[in-house]
Amino acid sequence: MAQPNTRLGIAAASLLLTIGGGAELWLRADQSPAPASRTSTAVKPVTPKPVIAEPVSLATLRPVLDRYCVGCHNNKAKTAGLELDSLMTAPVGKNAETWEKVARKLRTQEMPPPGMPRPDQTAYLRANALLEAALESAAIAAPHPGRVAVHRLNRVEYVNAVRDLLDVRVDGTALLTADDVNQEGFDNIASILSVSPALLQNYLSAARTVSRLAIGDTAIVPAIETYKISKALVQDDRMGEDLPFGSQGGTAIRHRFPLDAEYSFKVLLRRQEYDYLVGMGEPHQIEIRLDGALLKRISVGGEAKGMTTPESYGGNTQGGPEFEFYMHNADATLEVRGPVTAGEHVVGISFLRRFWEPEGILQPPQTGFARSTNEYYHGNPDVEFVYIGGPYGHVSPGNPASRQKIFLCSPRNTAEEEPCARRILSTLAKRAYRRPLTEADIQTVLRFYREGRTGGDFDAGIREGLERILAAPSFLFRVEHQPAGLAPGAVYAVNDVDLASRLSFFLWSSIPDDPLLDLAVAGKLHEPAVLDQQVRRMLRDSRSDALVNGFVNRWLELNKLAGVVPDTELYSEFDENLRDAMAQETRLFVKNELREDHSVASLLTANYTYLNERLAKHYGIPDIYGSHFRRVTLPEGVRGGLLGQASVLTVTSYPNRTSVAIRGRWLLANILGSPPPAPPANIPPLPEAAANGGPKSLRERMSIHRQNAVCAGCHRRMDPLGFALENFDADGKWRKEADGVPVDASAALPDGTQFDGVIGLRELLASHQEDFARTLTEKLIAYALGRGVEYTDEPTVRGIARDAGVNGYRWSSVLAGIAKSAPFRTAAAGGEPPKIARK
Amino acid sequence: MIITRKAISRRTILRGLGSVLALPLLDSMTPAFAATQKTAVNRFGVVYVPNGMIMENYLPKAEGAAWELTPTLQALQPFRDQLLILSGLNSLASPGRPGGAHAKATTRFLTDVSPPTSETWLDAGISMDQILANEIGKRTQVASLELAIESGETAGACDTGFACPYTNTICWKSANTPLATENNPRVVFERLFGDSGSTDAKTRLTRLHQQRSVLDSVGEELKRLEGTLPSGDRTKLTEYFDAVRDIEQRIQIAEEQNNRDLPVVAHPAGIPANWEDHVRLMFDLETIAFQCDLTRVITMMIGHEHSGMTYPQIGVPDAHHPISHHQKEPEKIAKVAKINQYHMKMFAYFLDKLRATPDGDGTLLDHMTLMYGAGIADSNAHSVYNIPIMLAGGGAGNLKGGRHIPFKDMPLANLHLTLLDQFGVHWDRLGDSTGPIDSRILSLA
Repeated sequence: MAQPNTRLGIAAASLLLTIGGGAELWLRADQSPAPASRTSTAVKPVTPKPVIAEPVSLATLRPVLDRYCVGCHNNKAKTAGLELDSLMTAPVGKNAETWEKVARKLRTQEMPPPGMPRPDQTAYLRANALLEAALESAAIAAPHPGRVAVHRLNRVEYVNAVRDLLDVRVDGTALLTADDVNQEGFDNIASILSVSPALLQNYLSAARTVSRLAIGDTAIVPAIETYKISKALVQDDRMGEDLPFGSQGGTAIRHRFPLDAEYSFKVLLRRQEYDYLVGMGEPHQIEIRLDGALLKRISVGGEAKGMTTPESYGGNTQGGPEFEFYMHNADATLEVRGPVTAGEHVVGISFLRRFWEPEGILQPPQTGFARSTNEYYHGNPDVEFVYIGGPYGHVSPGNPASRQKIFLCSPRNTAEEEPCARRILSTLAKRAYRRPLTEADIQTVLRFYREGRTGGDFDAGIREGLERILAAPSFLFRVEHQPAGLAPGAVYAVNDVDLASRLSFFLWSSIPDDPLLDLAVAGKLHEPAVLDQQVRRMLRDSRSDALVNGFVNRWLELNKLAGVVPDTELYSEFDENLRDAMAQETRLFVKNELREDHSVASLLTANYTYLNERLAKHYGIPDIYGSHFRRVTLPEGVRGGLLGQASVLTVTSYPNRTSVAIRGRWLLANILGSPPPAPPANIPPLPEAAANGGPKSLRERMSIHRQNAVCAGCHRRMDPLGFALENFDADGKWRKEADGVPVDASAALPDGTQFDGVIGLRELLASHQEDFARTLTEKLIAYALGRGVEYTDEPTVRGIARDAGVNGYRWSSVLAGIAKSAPFRTAAAGGEPPKIARK
Repeated sequence: MIITRKAISRRTILRGLGSVLALPLLDSMTPAFAATQKTAVNRFGVVYVPNGMIMENYLPKAEGAAWELTPTLQALQPFRDQLLILSGLNSLASPGRPGGAHAKATTRFLTDVSPPTSETWLDAGISMDQILANEIGKRTQVASLELAIESGETAGACDTGFACPYTNTICWKSANTPLATENNPRVVFERLFGDSGSTDAKTRLTRLHQQRSVLDSVGEELKRLEGTLPSGDRTKLTEYFDAVRDIEQRIQIAEEQNNRDLPVVAHPAGIPANWEDHVRLMFDLETIAFQCDLTRVITMMIGHEHSGMTYPQIGVPDAHHPISHHQKEPEKIAKVAKINQYHMKMFAYFLDKLRATPDGDGTLLDHMTLMYGAGIADSNAHSVYNIPIMLAGGGAGNLKGGRHIPFKDMPLANLHLTLLDQFGVHWDRLGDSTGPIDSRILSLA
């Protein structure tokens, strides 16, 4: 024992010398277990796998490999091109990539294939632990922190940076084109974020637009912004927290008003397919509000004269001319104009709620074509368009939050102007460039200030200076400083200033704030206590919500929800309200998990969620009224955690049916970290449910593919996981029957483990929380670094997950573990060729 | 809306102030002002009108050169020589895909594929404007524009059992990708002219100089930055440099262009409240886009199928689609015919603009292939036989106008194949086509 320990010590010490303290992570093995998780449902106690704390040679693995693997994977048979007998003669680090794959196969027990002799559970675990330990020793001896390419701000980061720099919220989709994503769906991967002339033009235009918005430009011409509400959004309830109680329908819009001036607000109501206005049978009171204060209340509807259109409103037969005209133009008067101060305000459009129902037979809610054609003459009108126009009349820049943030001083005379401009612009530039400025930086920006000042006033000068800052490569690119004189591949510590940006873009998808940058400039950020304290502070800050949208939604593929189009004949009640509610449930849930710092496994096991009336109805949960979301503790185990959330269940389904294979793949790839390979070409379609004779239930049909050897390899792993979720329909509704037969949600893994339904699956996954934590860490480190994860990162990933396990896999431990890891805090010196080639 | 500016003196140009409508700074484009080219450029435009037409008021009875100006065509009198009235073109349902008269009218118009009866499944075919855009669009800043006057819903179901894109767009990028139409002139303007505020030369040039000064300065900063980077990390910055150079070249080209009559459109605020103003502004933008060679393919839908637009300004307060089901009542027929006439009057405005714009050795209209028509004939019966189709413009020598050419039961797509051929784009089959019409019938060449 003594000698290996010494060797490890030397390796670690040398690493400490190079990177200044990132190595202790790999050496911690024996902390006491953390206090029990605060998660409300039971998470099995954490039993970290024993860390084998001596460098392991492959010789210790030899017996098990010889017995179970080498029979096929040898230098004669070369099954799958793998020659384990030859590999065992070389140091593990020489073939780390292959050995990582072997470790994964052992961990998931995919190999040896069924039917061949397989090790028992203990032997599997032992072999995997030994191999992983060997790989870790090799990684410590020769660290590969990797290198991240120069990173362009993506659209989300740009928008957030503008918000934090200038207190201006802009719609990124209107300014910049969408960013490409990598195969895992992340949009912040440095090597993929390219630059083109079109994009550069976008950035230049955006710089102008943003600087004019932030400072105000009295020369701008009036513009009419259009806000459109989908016809498929049902507006029978209060439509948001920003609208008055007792209102129904409409929308609340956060709009930025560029100047103190007059603005016009015009509303158009929803028309059905043949352009008849909806709900014009009785008068309705529509209100236009600004920050909650009433601008105007207008009555619309109930004034149609002349012969009516036949009730079908099918468009083929018309009523009298007066009636027809009214039914197409009654909303022409919904307009108001008034003064508004510069800055962001909430424009609220809503109807006064009616407390009576029209007489007659209550109609069932209509969907699809029926909804698009029915005129609902006696129903509620909806808002379809809101136009905000301006600025009109006398204009002035006013004093919006953005100006308060920008104008740190205001010159009283000409002599004060340039010093004041210098102060304003250098403060902005330092924040935007995320580093101390050089005199050249300041002079460049001041040159633009002077040009602007010459042609206009002080504001114009600041505007031009700001435009230049927003077009600067130092703003748009994250370029890290590499110490001089390093050989390519040499490992060096990322300096504190660059570390500050790494942290802020990881946790906030934005620029560092002043406290973080100040610590970095003072050279203190790398100190473990400081770093730790900053990570915790940043996670408490609401800016860390960016992790939910930027990371969690993409990791779990929830961003696909926006594009889901369920078959309206089968899922006729699916509307935009449901789609929004699904997304909101998961967003609020994950946000809360992070905020309360639960175990990451609690994402799967929590016994609460967030619901509003629409979603609660969908789930069959009673006594929840109104459109606002509230936390709901779930009495029974069906809906707890992500697996019971309609968002997840919907994005893992086809438009017209569930898919056990898609759900199974989703679980394998995103939760268990063992994605099946892509399916082969030329797959025949699954037979539809047959009326007579043929296979009826999905289970019978799916059994076809497990009989086929080509399909079976993956489907025997995917399908059981998916079957357990079969009680959830393709839109996440609970069901007891499918295709006319009762749902059978029982399943068995290839190793014989039996489980039943979502509750059984949840227990099964909870017992694999280490796999889950490792999968999450792997995805998260890719997101944190903005690069693909390489096999050289795997030892780090395992180390972070293991350490987090000691702490109950709390979110903060995983996130802090990444922030303190070697790939995050160090880099391999650049040069050519790249140190680590992919594959 | 378009004000024609007087040419600016040569001295002004030499001072570098008054250069042309400067080229916008977007995707890869060649500096191809048509005027500087040896051979005339042909452009393609479509103007689609919804809910069919009253055929007896539209279609001339006489064939050949002696065709009479029908009531609906009155407004086109000044352009008679550059019009080809084509009759006998059909747009029948594809085999196995019946129903959905209005969905079919729109979807088939440029694809000649009928949509399947589905509220969710999108399956038509690539439309001929997009086939063209894929080819000739490579040479322009914007491959194609898909415009409309009404806003089109792209989600949900519209015609009975049909997804909304089937009634709301005539343009399909591929069989499964309908293209949304844009009806906001402001968005169109910004797409064509960026953030310069006006197509006025002086305004644009000021903005260009300002941008160049930012670019120059950014270039210096990049050079400083590049020096500090290991070579492997410079790729991204090289891309940035390439982009900077690309834009600078365009500015230079723009400044070197000879001055011409300049149409000026100020940055539109949004959609004009008045329908006629809206249509005119969109046609102005089309004209200027063609003139500056920003794109060579533009489609325009005056309305989507089922349009319930009312036209009280011409004495038709009734909604268009319901009244187009006129049940043979003379009063209703007369009103629909009025709408048809009104649309034609707007088209005449467009033709007038195109003819007033010099282009090379002729006018823009000489170098245009414009198709005007509806996807059904009489809306009352949803007739798909002998649908109203006209060609306007000289087609850069490919079209010899002034004639009414009757065909007999000819699939509309056969015409599309011929037009594609005239643009040098050979396409064997489009939807339900059976083979191209002989191009010489159109050109008399």
